[in-house]
Amino acid sequence: MIESSGAALVTRGLAKRYGKRVALDGLDLRVPAGVVYGFLGPNGAGKTTTMRILTGLVHADAGSVELLGKPFGRRDRRRLFDVGALIESPSFYPFLSGRENLRALAAAGAPVPATRVDEVLALVNLRERASDKVSGYSLGMKQRLGIAAALLGDPKLLLLDEPANGLDPAGIVGMRDTLRALAAEGRTVLVSSHILSEVEQLADVVGIVAHGRLVREGPVERLLREGGTVRVRVAPEEIAAAAAALERAAGPDDVSVDSTPGGDWLVVRFDPSHAAELNRALVAAGVYASRIEAGATLESLFLEVTGSTPDVGAGGGAGGGDGASPAVPS
Amino acid sequence: MRLFRSNLRKLVRRPATFVTFLLLAGLVLLIMVAVTAASRQSTDTQSEIASQLFLTFPGAWSLVLSVVLGIGGLLALVYGAAIAGSEWGWGTLKAAVARGESRSRYTLTGYAAVVVMLWAVLLVTYAIGIVAAVAGASIAGISLSGIWDQAALRQLPDLFARAALGVAMEAALGFAIATVARSQLAGIGAGIGIYFAEGIAGIFVPGIIKWFPFAAASALINDASPGGGGAAGTTGRLDPGTAVFATLAWLIGALVVSALWTERAEIGG
Repeated sequence: MIESSGAALVTRGLAKRYGKRVALDGLDLRVPAGVVYGFLGPNGAGKTTTMRILTGLVHADAGSVELLGKPFGRRDRRRLFDVGALIESPSFYPFLSGRENLRALAAAGAPVPATRVDEVLALVNLRERASDKVSGYSLGMKQRLGIAAALLGDPKLLLLDEPANGLDPAGIVGMRDTLRALAAEGRTVLVSSHILSEVEQLADVVGIVAHGRLVREGPVERLLREGGTVRVRVAPEEIAAAAAALERAAGPDDVSVDSTPGGDWLVVRFDPSHAAELNRALVAAGVYASRIEAGATLESLFLEVTGSTPDVGAGGGAGGGDGASPAVPS
Repeated sequence: MRLFRSNLRKLVRRPATFVTFLLLAGLVLLIMVAVTAASRQSTDTQSEIASQLFLTFPGAWSLVLSVVLGIGGLLALVYGAAIAGSEWGWGTLKAAVARGESRSRYTLTGYAAVVVMLWAVLLVTYAIGIVAAVAGASIAGISLSGIWDQAALRQLPDLFARAALGVAMEAALGFAIATVARSQLAGIGAGIGIYFAEGIAGIFVPGIIKWFPFAAASALINDASPGGGGAAGTTGRLDPGTAVFATLAWLIGALVVSALWTERAEIGG
């Protein structure tokens, strides 16, 4: 039984089928109040179906939902007055301007003060283009307008499905700051995203779903620490020597190379609380690390717990993708 | 009320509203020009008499309304389908439901705004048609002495109410078809298909088809409607009183289908 006190959102045994395909298979989720919750999972894992159920767009075959401490079912649409949502792509009338679209949306659901439309437009930095027709907006502008629409009702719980889609770097930073500020005010933000580095920076807590079930949930720091790895960066010409020293300290099969666009990392399967021992072994071998990080990355954790493998560029040998390579150069 | 006002504001800005108005007004004007020309140049006496009927008051008051209703009925169906279908296609229904809006209230309020807009369009078009009939009568040298006929003028509110009911039903039908199809194009296509299928079937089984929506709507006004393509001609027509009940039944049925379908639908996309 999932404990619901202090939670903004709880699902218990949520199940949903589309014909023969199982979208959700008993999803238990607990999103604490006042946090940014990263909702992660591979394509088809059930994230969007969950979002649709949470916003009353589809109905679960089994299980229950609690929104802001109260049960949410078919007849409880008014619970959504305190919820803001951006589900999949933003939805607007192309022949109306951004401001007119928000006014039209504000006429549905909970009443919204007239000044609120311009407030949220300013919040997503869209005031200057607010009078332009939405049909002329770029993907990123539509996304920002979608976030503004989700914020219209000054929600206590915000559900955002891939909010960073189409945003430029400045837009992503702005969105991150906005969402962090909302959480700091005591609101709860649930963000589904495929940009794991973004979630790692943004989320306090993550839940990872695969095949319609929750496979891992907890504070980001704790999950990464429990990953049981230490990541070491040395000069490229010293990788072989460093790998040999680390193998002596950790074990011969516990060292691999993780090739990232920013350079190679040596990944050591080792208790992160004893990372200093690895540093000592490197120094003894005459190698000096430029960085040592304890714990896994969200990406490696995600791949591990969902059983996913990199789809593109995986056949290119060591260093061909972002995932960890088992090969250590000798 | 704020949802209704918001829906009206959306429709005022919507290109489909202007296209519908321009198409209806254009076609009515075209018919009146053709009628005027036929009344002066036709070598066929029957055709000449029929044309002159359109331009002769007080009969023109109801004949012009029949033309507007005949063409406007199909356009009302297309317009209703376009508005309802776009709510699904653009995902704006999804956004409203996710804000906690009642699905059936949203649907029915949207429909109400569509009907009010269509009534306004029909009223303006009717005024254009009457002005065209007066101009046509002057050109054709037909007397306008019957234009202020008190009996005909007293009948106008009743005729308007019947026309309004017919248009409301036809818009509801388009609304329901597009809601079930969840698509503008499918709704418009299916609606037009039904319109013509009803017209063709009316030739063979008029006794049954007279109860169908377009035939019932065209029977609301007790004049043969040259524009009512879906009607089964004058044979097998319902009397105007019965047509009111048949039209109301179709209207309520279409609205119930729209509301229930939206209420029970799983909204994705």
